[in-house]
Amino acid sequence: MRKVFLGALVAVMPLAAAAQVESYTIDPIHSFVNFTIDHLGFTTLHGRFDKSTGKATVDRAGRKGTVDLVIEAASVSTGDNDKGSRPRSRDEHLRSADFFNVAEFPRISFKGNVKFSGDGANEVEGQVTLLGVTKPVVFKMDRWKCGAHPFSKKEMCGGTASGKIKRTEFGMKYGVPAIGDEITLTMGFEAYKD
Amino acid sequence: MRKILIGSMLAAAAPMGVAAPESYTLDPHHTFVHFGVDHNGFSTIWGRFDRSSGKFTFDRQAGSVVLEVIVETASVTTGDSARGNRPRSRDEHLRSPDFFNATEFPRMTYKSRNAKLNGDVPVEIQGELTLLGVTRPVTLAVDRWKCAPHPVTRRPICGGNAIGGLKRSEFGMKWGIPATGDDVMIRVTFEALKD
Repeated sequence: MRKVFLGALVAVMPLAAAAQVESYTIDPIHSFVNFTIDHLGFTTLHGRFDKSTGKATVDRAGRKGTVDLVIEAASVSTGDNDKGSRPRSRDEHLRSADFFNVAEFPRISFKGNVKFSGDGANEVEGQVTLLGVTKPVVFKMDRWKCGAHPFSKKEMCGGTASGKIKRTEFGMKYGVPAIGDEITLTMGFEAYKD
Repeated sequence: MRKILIGSMLAAAAPMGVAAPESYTLDPHHTFVHFGVDHNGFSTIWGRFDRSSGKFTFDRQAGSVVLEVIVETASVTTGDSARGNRPRSRDEHLRSPDFFNATEFPRMTYKSRNAKLNGDVPVEIQGELTLLGVTRPVTLAVDRWKCAPHPVTRRPICGGNAIGGLKRSEFGMKWGIPATGDDVMIRVTFEALKD
């Protein structure tokens, strides 16, 4: 429905303007949401969501864009997935109701507006929905490039973006402060023009 | 028994301010080697080795750290492990002779006998990495370091983060350069329990 609506909007716009809004699909094999969190004040634990999907638009003339990302919460991976003789592995614990509660909230979503400055996108302002709670988050674009894939020659955009959230604001309170409240999110992404 | 022995050694040494060298074993559940590499000039792909082990000896008085870490190359993971209808997943490709050649070289090792300390805090580890049978110097900057009792178990631990870099072509890993970057960023996060 939304796509039909967008399509109709684009159709009634003048041709020149219509050509400016490009639609992209995020390449899940080259797009990952990574996170880091403090562990007991000693070290920084890194994690990654292995499965995500999404769409984006880029309006080069208008110097803006949109991102719509869906992350599979159960795909969380921190390198500890084998419980061995323990009751559970860390990844199993992260999927439980103590953290991502994936049975009840299988998806984490992000919708944002891309802002351009200088040569490319430099910030994404949006809303993340985690554990059913929606909060604003700002991602800074650390890398951004649009161009042709060096081999397939398909048009694409890619980059990396980073931002911070506090997990307690989403109701994820287990282990705070021994396990940090602040989570740094770093996303590497590539998206192909539709 | 060991704790008692170390305790009595410390007690005897304390008046002179002499601390014995302490040996630590890396906690594999809280120690990971991560790497980042450029992909086609568009984005940065991050990977992680899920299995590693190691030990280090920390001598505050002598200002030395002696370290040895073993990383299981087949435990490499970049989030692309299911091949689907492709001939292979990226992780499978990384284990192949094009990259880590995990069958022939199941382990890479990092050894150091030289650390720079600022007071009693290691700030730089100068070591040698053996990857694909090639040994080259790799320096890690320690950008986080803390030794204290574990807040729950009270057992003494040291933990931190270290960063560094290398050129993979220098180890003979040349596949895909320059589309898949030659420069590899390294980020090690670790916690180690006192023996």
